[in-house]
Amino acid sequence: MFSFQDCSIPKRLTRMNMLVSGTALLLASAGFFVYDLYNFRAGIVLNLGIQAQIIGSNSISAVLFDDPHSAEITLSALQAAPRVMSAEIYTPDGQPFAEYRRDRGESRAPPLKIPSGETQAYRFQSGEVGLVRLIVFHGKPVATVYMRSGLGAMHERQRSFALIVATVFLMSLLAAAWMSSVARQSIAEPIVRLAKTAQIVLGEKDYSVRAPVNGERNEIAVLIASFNEMLAQIQERDAALGEAHNRLEQQVQERTAQLKAANADLEAFSYSVSHDLRAPLRHIGAFSQILSEEYDSKMEPGARQHLNRILAGVKHMSRLIDDMLKMAQIGRKELVRVTTDLNFLLREVLVDLQPESGGRQIDWRIGNLSSADCDAGLVRQVLMNLLSNALKYSRRREIAVIEVGQVQQEGVSVIFVRDNGAGFDERYAHKLFGAFQRLHRAEDFEGTGVGLSTVQRIIRKHGGEIWAKGEVDKGATFFFSFAAKGQDRVHTNKAMAGG
Amino acid sequence: MKATYLYNFSRFVEWPAKAAPAQGDSFAICVLGEDPFGPALKATVEHETIAGKSVVTRQVPAPQDAVNCRVLFISASEDKRLKEILTNLGTSSVLTVSDLPRFTQRGGMVQFVLEGNRVRFEVNTATAERAGLTLSSELLKVALNVRKSGQIGD
Repeated sequence: MFSFQDCSIPKRLTRMNMLVSGTALLLASAGFFVYDLYNFRAGIVLNLGIQAQIIGSNSISAVLFDDPHSAEITLSALQAAPRVMSAEIYTPDGQPFAEYRRDRGESRAPPLKIPSGETQAYRFQSGEVGLVRLIVFHGKPVATVYMRSGLGAMHERQRSFALIVATVFLMSLLAAAWMSSVARQSIAEPIVRLAKTAQIVLGEKDYSVRAPVNGERNEIAVLIASFNEMLAQIQERDAALGEAHNRLEQQVQERTAQLKAANADLEAFSYSVSHDLRAPLRHIGAFSQILSEEYDSKMEPGARQHLNRILAGVKHMSRLIDDMLKMAQIGRKELVRVTTDLNFLLREVLVDLQPESGGRQIDWRIGNLSSADCDAGLVRQVLMNLLSNALKYSRRREIAVIEVGQVQQEGVSVIFVRDNGAGFDERYAHKLFGAFQRLHRAEDFEGTGVGLSTVQRIIRKHGGEIWAKGEVDKGATFFFSFAAKGQDRVHTNKAMAGG
Repeated sequence: MKATYLYNFSRFVEWPAKAAPAQGDSFAICVLGEDPFGPALKATVEHETIAGKSVVTRQVPAPQDAVNCRVLFISASEDKRLKEILTNLGTSSVLTVSDLPRFTQRGGMVQFVLEGNRVRFEVNTATAERAGLTLSSELLKVALNVRKSGQIGD
């Protein structure tokens, strides 16, 4: 049988056409055949019955007056009926009376029984039909006539019928094939063209292609028109999208330039301010110092206390200005990337930090760090800052534990500095890296709030990230890398930058 | 067998419409002389009708009585009186049947003839016609011999 599974639409149409017309034709032919056969058989039976009746009627006197010879003369008229193979006349008591045989050698077949109330019975079997008819004369059965006829005519008719059916079948299939080729042009071809167009659009991402329309007004035309309309809409949307993108890009560039300029201005401003603030501050400091040294004995205790406050304030402000200048410098400085052994850098920092750690019990846990392509001076500041923070916030611990190590996270090397110090509330983690932002009171831990901000600037300048985890009184861990990690990290990073 | 034939003959013979029987609605099959059939004839025709008339059998003593019969069987015993009988019947529409030899030549209509052990018959259409009777061709077809002329005689 045909398979409809993986065929193109034109082939399917053709096959369906052929199948439908073939099936219809076969059914119709079968119907006609059966009808014709039935009719023909009925005709044969009718004919044979009439012949039997004629023979019987003409043999009544012969039977009544016991003259088989006369009956045989009547029977011999059947020579004119070539299909009749034999005819026999029986007396009412079933005795054979006269017979006729076309073929002398034929044996006598037993006659059929006529059901009571009927005048005739027949039976079709093995290429012949047997018919027995009761002959009635003046209301009385006089004889029965039994005739057998060959069915050659019927078989001939069946053969010619089959020939006609086969011819018509073949011609119908040809017609169906022709018709489906017409259908293929009007139905299938547009669909095939549409499919090809869709493939071109998909394959080449070319939305300017259009499926050809051939002036028809049917569902396929609607389909093609819709398809083309869709392509047009996609094209329009693409164009709009491209335009919006370009506009956005341009805006971003403009804003970036503006931002850069503003940043530069701001840095220049803060630098100059810091720088310019230094001179007056130095004066205040110097003269306060002179006051404190030269007029120490002449001062009342109250004045002495005020002066000390001024000196402390000058010292703090001076440090603030220093830090701000440092931060501004980082913003203006170009990175000098060199392959640097971070272990070496760390050792230097640890040596520098010895004065701060002196006299304390500290459990240093230093892991092995790799080399990195970075600005050694700036990264040194980062390590210095993070480690000095760790020392500062863990100083209330009897034994401070400070750990430095390197781990791989999402394919990126991450360096961490962990302490068991005061820690922080993660809810305020975003404020950690803001300039002048402090999570601890100055009375507890001194500081300007510029250190971590500077660290973040340095790391960002390297294209990396920095983030922290911690818990109040359970220590803090600072992580940084020289390369950006996955999307979520960037997101967190933004949240931090926002603070 | 002959009794059956006697009755069957009447099926193949047409009587003229004017042949009005004296005995109303009956169709009489009569025997003149010694009855050779016995009860067989009566048994054969019992309950039978011909053209709506019930068939009866009758023994007739004299030829004059036979004019109202439809079929008359003339027994072999009447051989000597045959001429007188036939003359008496004249042109009455009575089908005459007999065993007598040369019956059809002597003015009779249907004569039984034995052929081997089979009963056959011969007819004389001329004498039948003279009596206004028409013998069916079906009857003539099975007749052993069909004569077409003949006078009443010996």
